[in-house]
Amino acid sequence: MTIERPADIAPAAPRTQPRGVACQCRNASVDLVSRSGPRRILGDINFDLHDGEFVAILGRSGSGKTTLLRVLGGLVEPTPDSEVSFHGRPVAGPPQDVVFVFQNYAASLLPWRTVHNNVALGLEGKVPAAEMQARISESLAIVGLEARAADYPWQLSGGMQQRVQLARSLAMRPRGLLMDEPFGSLDAMTKASLQDQLQQVHQHTGATIAFVTHDIDEAVFLSDRILVLDGSPATIAHEIPVELPRPRDQLATKELPEFLRLRRQVYDAIVATRD
Amino acid sequence: MTSVTAVLRRANVLGLATMLLFLGAWELLIRTGLLDFQNLPAPTAVAARAQQLLASGELMTNLLHTLRVTVLGWVLASVIGIGLGLVLGLWRPAWRWSMASFELLRAVPPISLVPLALLVFGFSVRTELTLIVYASAWPVLVNTIEGVRTVRPELRDVARTLQLSRRATLLKLTLPAAMPSIVVGLQLGLSLALVLAVVAELVGNPSGLGNALILAQLALRPEEMFAYVFTIGLLGIALNAAFRQIVARTLPSAKPFPGKAS
Repeated sequence: MTIERPADIAPAAPRTQPRGVACQCRNASVDLVSRSGPRRILGDINFDLHDGEFVAILGRSGSGKTTLLRVLGGLVEPTPDSEVSFHGRPVAGPPQDVVFVFQNYAASLLPWRTVHNNVALGLEGKVPAAEMQARISESLAIVGLEARAADYPWQLSGGMQQRVQLARSLAMRPRGLLMDEPFGSLDAMTKASLQDQLQQVHQHTGATIAFVTHDIDEAVFLSDRILVLDGSPATIAHEIPVELPRPRDQLATKELPEFLRLRRQVYDAIVATRD
Repeated sequence: MTSVTAVLRRANVLGLATMLLFLGAWELLIRTGLLDFQNLPAPTAVAARAQQLLASGELMTNLLHTLRVTVLGWVLASVIGIGLGLVLGLWRPAWRWSMASFELLRAVPPISLVPLALLVFGFSVRTELTLIVYASAWPVLVNTIEGVRTVRPELRDVARTLQLSRRATLLKLTLPAAMPSIVVGLQLGLSLALVLAVVAELVGNPSGLGNALILAQLALRPEEMFAYVFTIGLLGIALNAAFRQIVARTLPSAKPFPGKAS
């Protein structure tokens, strides 16, 4: 079932070429059950995620972007007429080969398990011991935390804890990563270094990534495409392709006129939707 | 040398001094006749009697009985409390069907069941054990339910996205997450077990420390009564300390949530 992909795979085909479809979202709607009956918070969302694509989902707070991501991750059930599929299989519960990375890293790690054992959580009983060890070491190496394997999460800084969660997801060898504002509560410097690390992970693994954020710079810097959510119920109000050269650099990329233009365009798109 | 200083540093010197001062004042008041009750012995008299009881083995026999029945009852209560707590906490229908009955039963103070148990089971260790199990299962049950129900929803999502089986979720996430709450329940249950053991021995089961206390009263031996009262107190302290030791050794995860592990 799972597709074997060695960790040191070379970056896949040139990014500008359109590739196969990893995730399909057709007429996806979500009703929230409230006291005054069901309230539609997402309505008729349509988009595809391509294999290996990095898509940022942007929107003001309360716009339903986290809910959309949770629908993709099988954690929230959409209305019956919605059609959401990952790798050709309809999403009913969390899809195989797709891992959700939560915003609240502190609540997502198990404080009674060491870093090593937290990373092991999704592998235990599913892969042979030797392979599990190899995958854990490899994932911890990718996020640069080999030296902290024996520590407990609460002995680590916030940025490190989020890297542990990322390592735990990578150990599953996912083809898709759904990241919900993963760097939202980190300081600017930690955030920048994690963005660089995520970029490397993306290049390294070729995973399809959907990344929810409210940070315009972050969305432009990381993604191949930006979806802006707005309205009530929310729909995709704007779709903005990002064709900045890769690999991207915190300083050089952010000084490109194209970066500034995109930043402006996204900002306008979000402000325009305010009316 | 170093171990002596370590012990001194760990011991609560001021706390011990207060105790000694209190005992000294008590002794003094009795000896000077300022405190004049027919049946209030001086601490030294109590100590002398305790010495005799120890030497004759009488105290040990009673102590061991109460210790055994307390621990046995508490273990049974813990198994029942945790098992039932998991079912009620994790399985909604069970909760809905039985909540009303449990709320009603819980409102009955266990001590009020002593005469009833006596009538049903007679003057026996069965009465004692039943009362202990009944009383100390409650805090374990309530805290287990509370513990598994308040597991953070984020952890459930983690289990789902990592494709953990229901069994693995229960054993690796829910139970450990509920453990601090369960441990609190176990500790409350243990102190209740001792209380109910003594009560049952006072009125029902003809053995143990509680029974010895009653016999000493009937024989008008206040020194002996005090000796047993202090023994019961020390047993409570020892049980609690042993419990903490076991928790600290077997569940290091249950305690270290230092500071900001939000």
